[in-house]
Amino acid sequence: MSGPDADRSQAALPAKVGVYVCHCGHNIAAKVDVERVAAFAASLPGVAVARDYKFMCSDPGQELIQRDIRDGLVNRVVVASCSPLMHGATFRRATEAGGISPFYSQMASIREHVSWVTADGGDATEKASTLIAGAVRRVAAHEQLDRRRAPVHPDVLVVGGGIGGIHAALTLADAGKHVYLVEREPCIGGQMAKFDKTFPTLDCAACILTPKMVQVGQHPNIDLLSFSEVEEVSGYVGSFKVKVRRKARYINEDACTGCNLCVENCTWDGILSEFDHGLGTRPVAYKPFPQAVPACPVIDRAGTSRCTFSCPAGIKAHGYVSLVRKGEYEKAFNLVLDATPLVGSLGRACYAQCETECTRASLEGPLPIRRLKRFIADAHYERGAAAAIEAAPPNGKQVAVVGSGPGGLTAAWQLARKGYRVKIFEAAPEPGGMLRLAIPGYRLPVSVVERDIENVTALGVEIATSTRVGNLEELRREGYDAILVATGAPVSTSLGVPGEDLDGVVSGLEFLEAAKLGEAAGLKGKRAVIVGGGNVAMDAARTARRIGAPEELSEPEEIMVTDAARTAWRLGAPEVIVVYRRGRGEMPAYPEEVDAAEQEGTRFSFQVAPVEVVGDGHGRATGLRCVRTELGAPDASGRRRPEPVPGSEFVIACEMVIAAIGLRPEAATLAAGLLTAANGTIQADPGTLQTDVPYVFAAGDVVSGALDIAHAVGRGQRAAFMIDRWLQGEQLDPASFDAKLPVVDQADVLAKQHPARGHLDPRAPAIRFAAAPADFAELEPPLTEAEARYGAERCLDCGGCSECGQCIAVCEADAIDLAMCDTEVELDVGAIIVATGFKPFDARRIPEYGYGRYPNVYTAPEVERLLNASGPTQGEIVLRGGEHPRTVGIIHCVGSRDARYNAYCSRVCCMYSLKLAHLIKERTGAEVYSFYIDMRTPGKGYEEFYGKVMKEGVHLIRGRVVEVSDEAEWPGAEGKLVLRAEDTLAGVVRQVPVDMVVLAVALEPQADAEHVGRLLNISCGSEGFFTERHPKLAPVSTFTDGVFLAGACQGPKDIPDTVAQAGAAAAEALVMIDRGSVELEPSTAFVDAAKCSGCRICLGLCPFGALSLDAEANVVVANEVLCKGCGVCVAACPSGALQQHLFTDEQILAELEGVLKDV
Amino acid sequence: MSENHFQPKIVAFFCTWCTYTAADLAGISRLAYAPNVRVIRLMCSGRLDPQFVLAAFRHGADGVLIGGCHPGDCHYQEGNYKARRRIELLRAVLRDLGVEDQRLRLEWISASEGEKVQRVCNEMTEELRRLGPLRLERPQRQAAELAGEAR
Repeated sequence: MSGPDADRSQAALPAKVGVYVCHCGHNIAAKVDVERVAAFAASLPGVAVARDYKFMCSDPGQELIQRDIRDGLVNRVVVASCSPLMHGATFRRATEAGGISPFYSQMASIREHVSWVTADGGDATEKASTLIAGAVRRVAAHEQLDRRRAPVHPDVLVVGGGIGGIHAALTLADAGKHVYLVEREPCIGGQMAKFDKTFPTLDCAACILTPKMVQVGQHPNIDLLSFSEVEEVSGYVGSFKVKVRRKARYINEDACTGCNLCVENCTWDGILSEFDHGLGTRPVAYKPFPQAVPACPVIDRAGTSRCTFSCPAGIKAHGYVSLVRKGEYEKAFNLVLDATPLVGSLGRACYAQCETECTRASLEGPLPIRRLKRFIADAHYERGAAAAIEAAPPNGKQVAVVGSGPGGLTAAWQLARKGYRVKIFEAAPEPGGMLRLAIPGYRLPVSVVERDIENVTALGVEIATSTRVGNLEELRREGYDAILVATGAPVSTSLGVPGEDLDGVVSGLEFLEAAKLGEAAGLKGKRAVIVGGGNVAMDAARTARRIGAPEELSEPEEIMVTDAARTAWRLGAPEVIVVYRRGRGEMPAYPEEVDAAEQEGTRFSFQVAPVEVVGDGHGRATGLRCVRTELGAPDASGRRRPEPVPGSEFVIACEMVIAAIGLRPEAATLAAGLLTAANGTIQADPGTLQTDVPYVFAAGDVVSGALDIAHAVGRGQRAAFMIDRWLQGEQLDPASFDAKLPVVDQADVLAKQHPARGHLDPRAPAIRFAAAPADFAELEPPLTEAEARYGAERCLDCGGCSECGQCIAVCEADAIDLAMCDTEVELDVGAIIVATGFKPFDARRIPEYGYGRYPNVYTAPEVERLLNASGPTQGEIVLRGGEHPRTVGIIHCVGSRDARYNAYCSRVCCMYSLKLAHLIKERTGAEVYSFYIDMRTPGKGYEEFYGKVMKEGVHLIRGRVVEVSDEAEWPGAEGKLVLRAEDTLAGVVRQVPVDMVVLAVALEPQADAEHVGRLLNISCGSEGFFTERHPKLAPVSTFTDGVFLAGACQGPKDIPDTVAQAGAAAAEALVMIDRGSVELEPSTAFVDAAKCSGCRICLGLCPFGALSLDAEANVVVANEVLCKGCGVCVAACPSGALQQHLFTDEQILAELEGVLKDV
Repeated sequence: MSENHFQPKIVAFFCTWCTYTAADLAGISRLAYAPNVRVIRLMCSGRLDPQFVLAAFRHGADGVLIGGCHPGDCHYQEGNYKARRRIELLRAVLRDLGVEDQRLRLEWISASEGEKVQRVCNEMTEELRRLGPLRLERPQRQAAELAGEAR
């Protein structure tokens, strides 16, 4: 019988062991009495046959075994010969060929462990006998086991797109296999793409690399996943599941034609170039180098810039600043216009949260972002050009907007652009809301507001003034498909003291409105007292307003205080006093405004609260009785609570009392079933702005309480977006409006800055104020063009991309998508090749070489970029000042062969240093001094190259440089860097002054090598490079089956060795794939569920995740494919439920008893 | 000094990847050492169940030698660390049983250290020769019984 049936029957039968004692020629027989040993074996219980033979591993030897099995004499095999590590597989095959399970065999090593190491023949014979006794007992306990094979997925993953990864991928792809090449940079090419020339042939690196790169890009069998990283690897050899994160380029790779227009039109090109090691700069939209594969650029976005992120109006602040920096004022205007028509108004009256958030604010001062907005508005309006934005064709629907403040105007603008017919209803005689009616003309001229409103009416929007809307249902009946309520917060909070109904007492808002409409009576002879802040009611109002409001909010009513004061002066009041119940420090009005008011003559009375308006008995106010306050504990708003001081009352004589206490909405009259709150606000969904009445939306102060213009503008935009969606029958999804990348951290931005862009002179033009103002002429001077450009140039480009939109504008393929997100793909592969390369040693770790301190100390990779014609200096070797060096020093072994850093030799530095010496000398004619320890030039043509460079007159000094110093100890060394080293061949200490120092830095593992190792379940050696399976015989395999290594990630090496390894790794992968299956480790763990109590001691012991708990049955399950067969868990199992195939407790104990037997 | 003819029996558990390979290397290098050590191969020193050590003493071993990869180099990542922990705990138990420390020895031997195998085997053999046979009443009797059975 033979085959599987035979096996099963063998397991049931008692063991009949065949023992085969090998002479191994003289190797065993000379020391061990093999015949006596065979006779001993024959005497052991269970042994059916015992033979001795000259060479058991030979064909006749193996035939002995097979015949005995076939003849039915034996069903277990013991071969006493050499080490099982040598011929274990051989005798398993022989056993299998005989017709039974290959695992019914066992070897006893009587050569390596006996005959070769035992002096006395008698001792050797005895020891051999005991080992055979052990093997006989053991093999009798062997279980029926079959060889197991797992299928191999034919696809391969190559991690890393340098020359190694490229070559491996091409080799496999040419063999007809499908390859995924994952590279984390935007393009492939790795370190080699950064070189100028390669040693020893001095081939141009790009010339020999780019054809292979192009081949990769075009190969039908290669899926290039660039700008992507491996996130997770699970599975096992032959069936790996790999999760790859594809980072967002913000350009659609499939649509991109590689035309480069986005790169050329990017408005900022000052980002330090990683490819040039920080020696040059690149644009935000960039390709690392011109021949990049793929040719699709990347838009570098670190996040949203702080100004843009903080703008409540949703304006791309960084975008228009970047455009101003480029002199593109019209484009800047259109970028702002895209968000709101109120460009001029915001440029004057916005409270500019963006400037508070500006990273420059932590240095010399923020950019004048608001004034830049005014600059571009003025530029556009003065030119009288038409706006570039047009309305879509009418779509047949109409929307009513109630209120023509910043919110209503912005919403109307956005809706009209989308093709809706819009009519705005405004109760006041003039449109513009607070812009027109409250903010004084010296801050925001009426002409500017009117010009902004023209942007809206130019799209066909109708504005009906002096038209108060009573009932929304009526509007609906008039045929409007949707209504937006944006009526703001026009109602003033009253003073709340006796006498406030006297003549001469007026609210702040009324006062300002009257002034702006030209209806204010002159205040000649009338002393004015302005009350800011207020009473207890004030706190409630403030708290209500704070709901949903951004953290640092300016208090509109407090600004109104200074507005009212300065307006009163201009209207002729002889005396203006501001009464405020807290202190100067607590007043949230702009310090500049308070200063300006004081300069104009206003007196501020702090810590004074109103108690009563005193009259003349005929209904006219004659004074304000006040009380002094003390500041106590903080209240709900966080500010210290003013407590009246008893007995401190006094009266301020005045004819006018202006109460600038607070504002609130008044929406109750609009009916239509709108839900309103006690403070007059409308309830609307904060995300969609829809009210309980589906066709009514509400935005701005009417929902939030009195806030500011920018907030209203932002809400107006949101309302228009949502109304449009609702009218088109789409889902109102708040997340789809205004999705932004997270804001960048200020500390990160500052850390990345080019050293030259540190503190700058703010040069912000001062705001001038008239000493005795008589009119409402605009006070703040505009920025000149030079001032505007200078201000914009101070920008630190926090988020990288400014979102200026120029790339989108020029892309003819419509490939740019700033809303792109990272995506994840899952790959199924059978094998993985790791070719992740190296990183150069950080020379700052050796302070005595002065890298980072002396400007003219470079690393070799940096000099490669200088030499490269497409590098930052177009191939010129120049010092930082621009001149050519006349003397250059090259220091070998920087970070290598150094017990303090890396003990190993980086293998390529001597060669690349000779190459740089040659190229520098060729380009500049400079004298070159190379300081080396040994010259390591072992490859083909390397020694010859060394000879050539020597003959060219490069000075070679054998000695380790101790320090690089800029201290000139003699006149010839002035202005130079002095290298000090012992010239060990001449026996003298040399001090060599040079213009430029080049450090030959070591090759180190990548910074994340350990992380990648853990991902792939491969280990790193003590230096951090990945560990190969065997340094001599298996340099490209790892101890994890199916994962192979190629290139410098396994250890420093040059390009030819990398390519050779890459080919080898590809071949190893092909072996697996073409075979179609891999043999799995037989000695895996298995669980006898009946004995398992679910104690879980074993679970945490497996480093390979092969054990899991079946929660329902409460028993452990061993995954025999993940299991590597170490047995650690088996040793821990208290009940013996966990066992290891071929190393069960029974088998080991049987062997133990056998070897301890007295023979 | 009288001649000591006592031949200690030492059982060695060697891990496949490092120590067993080192023992093979000792053989290839023809480094002669005492024949008293009988090697049992395990895949990993982490497979060593402390019960094997106790069983070895029960069956007549005078000493047990365990060999594994150097810490950090375990072929299976962490198996040798587990072995180290277990053996330390086992030592405490053995002391309580009156078994001398020298009878249980743990060595980290890498695949290239053939000479260390030679040295350790010789050292341990001599040490146990001086120490004499393991004297635990019960283990000795059981071993004798087993020996009687086999005959």
